[in-house]
Amino acid sequence: MRQPGAYSNLLSGGKMGPHSLPLARIKKIMKKSGEDVKMISGEAPIVFSKACELFIEELTKRAWAMTLQRKTRTMHKEDVAAAVMETDIFDFLVGLVSHTPNPSATLES
Amino acid sequence: MKRDPDQYMPIATLTRIMRRVLPDHAKVADDAKETIQECVSEFISFITTEANERCHREYRRTVTPNDVVAAMEGLGFGNYVEPLTVFINKHRAQQDCYPPRPAMHQPPPRLPAVDGYVPSPPAVDGANYLEMQQMRDYFMGTYRGGGRGGGGDQFDPFN
Repeated sequence: MRQPGAYSNLLSGGKMGPHSLPLARIKKIMKKSGEDVKMISGEAPIVFSKACELFIEELTKRAWAMTLQRKTRTMHKEDVAAAVMETDIFDFLVGLVSHTPNPSATLES
Repeated sequence: MKRDPDQYMPIATLTRIMRRVLPDHAKVADDAKETIQECVSEFISFITTEANERCHREYRRTVTPNDVVAAMEGLGFGNYVEPLTVFINKHRAQQDCYPPRPAMHQPPPRLPAVDGYVPSPPAVDGANYLEMQQMRDYFMGTYRGGGRGGGGDQFDPFN
């Protein structure tokens, strides 16, 4: 009786396949963001799956730039934190990346 | 402190996306991946909160893709709007291409009564069936991927 739904990947010819971010989990996080987040359209998590890819790519590129500044080839948490600190639109992440201060980090305050 | 994996995107998927923009020789420590995992979840919450507020301001109850995209634009992620719009349109075009089940569109044959029982035609609008099913799956929480045997012609209104 069940037709493939938006999340079963059967409808979209594999485009939303196993390599994409999981929609059910995105929806879970959306619902957790506030008491009054009750109704979410079926397409909203799909939009977020793409938006999160863009976000991950941007944050990764900026963090890697920090890694290069340290003249090393391994990206660490400090590089991600530094990228957050120097990017205005990532201000909402400042509390997140600085809540466990690492004494050996070379971050500027 | 134990991390609840359900609150984050899977590390393997995250890593694959990161690799798209990193040189081949780049190494990424686990703590960097975990930090980015947390940032992604925070990003989703941050945008959703704003999108939800937009909804309420306009006396609507359902957060739509438009709300999400408008929220991103308002919060400084305007450069995501164009790729997201292209993505949404492509996705919708694919949905439209999915052929509707023939059983939904043909009027059911008039069956002779059997033991006094004449089945009534299915009370669904065939054109909207897909959308309804998606929404149903969504709100019933039955949208688990692939494993529930979807795809067979299993709807039989006469049984």
